[in-house]
Amino acid sequence: MASTQTKPPPHPVDVAQLPLRRFTVDEYFAMAEAGILKREERVELIDGVIVEMAPIGNNHLGTTDLYTMLFARAVGDRAIVRVQGSILLAESSMPEPDLVLLRARQDFYRYRAAVPDDVLLLIEVAESSVNYDRYQKLPRYAQAGIPEVWITVLPERIIEAHVEPVAGRYTRNRIYVPGDTISPSALPDIELVVSDILPE
Amino acid sequence: MTTQTKPPPQPSSASNLPVRRFTPAEFLALVEVGILTSNDRVELLDGVIIEMAPIGDPHAGTVDIYTEMLPSGVDRGTLLRVQGPLALDEHSRLYPDLMLLRRRADFYRTETPRPEDVLLLIEVADSSVDYDRHEKLPRYARAGIPEVWITVLPERIIEAHSEPSGGRYTHTHIFVSGGTITPGCFPDIALPVSEIIPG
Repeated sequence: MASTQTKPPPHPVDVAQLPLRRFTVDEYFAMAEAGILKREERVELIDGVIVEMAPIGNNHLGTTDLYTMLFARAVGDRAIVRVQGSILLAESSMPEPDLVLLRARQDFYRYRAAVPDDVLLLIEVAESSVNYDRYQKLPRYAQAGIPEVWITVLPERIIEAHVEPVAGRYTRNRIYVPGDTISPSALPDIELVVSDILPE
Repeated sequence: MTTQTKPPPQPSSASNLPVRRFTPAEFLALVEVGILTSNDRVELLDGVIIEMAPIGDPHAGTVDIYTEMLPSGVDRGTLLRVQGPLALDEHSRLYPDLMLLRRRADFYRTETPRPEDVLLLIEVADSSVDYDRHEKLPRYARAGIPEVWITVLPERIIEAHSEPSGGRYTHTHIFVSGGTITPGCFPDIALPVSEIIPG
């Protein structure tokens, strides 16, 4: 990850205590356009806060690659597999999930951002970022009405499947472990073998 | 059958988020390209863009009183800056309520004042007292600002902090209504506290 900061501040502020200036998605894009945010930065916009994403480890990368390959083979032209691309979640949130299955569109969303209504399934792969995924991103996905989220927790070798968002939370959650198969609710004929995704 | 549903987990403000920080140059670029505008009352604290509390009437009036009283006592080598920027360190650009600065012929038009230019820094705190005491004051001390007054309106006191050493102020004097307060840099000035914080 490239950083424009020379070195980290010596006494970091506790951002939880401070009223941060939040940014809209439009301002976020304007920053990228002006070159203030660099292309190579791994950041996402969460509730108006520009957040630095954890560097991706090999296990995370390989798991994402495997999902990509399995879904690309299985979905055919029924969905679009978007890997580490952004979703316009809300006016001030533009996260970059590891993988999303989007409703098929002729133009592949070239001309507008994908929004929650376009998402069939959203997958996060968590190595060190599990708390961030569970407690920061998941509730926001629920609020936005993303129908199904899988958090793939590498250290625990589980996949948490969260479905049926109601009033800002997922009302059905199921844990999948090696030995199970897992299917997206929107494409139930696709069966993934959990032990393939989470090998020993 | 009804099941007790838990309240939804509160998407927390920004707690625990690894916020992308900005350099002072990036902060100024945000203004230049119009992302931050004059409607934004913000400052840069350790790379984080903070929204400053709106200035209420008591706060504004207190700044006005200081603005009226201070210039008459200072010499010609000093200038008063009101709610202007201070380049505190390489990660921060702050806007204290008032500063007495070493006078420069160009009035700092070409360069933002730095800590070594500051003789006295004054904050007026209404709702922001915790922020001033716990976030800003230690940073002023680390930067070596020689003297800071925090005017705490709800408590009707002025805290005078001086002699920064090892990242903190080693002398603190609380001034209450009835007395006078004198800047270390101008021992001839005596401001009546009750005029600054009337009863």
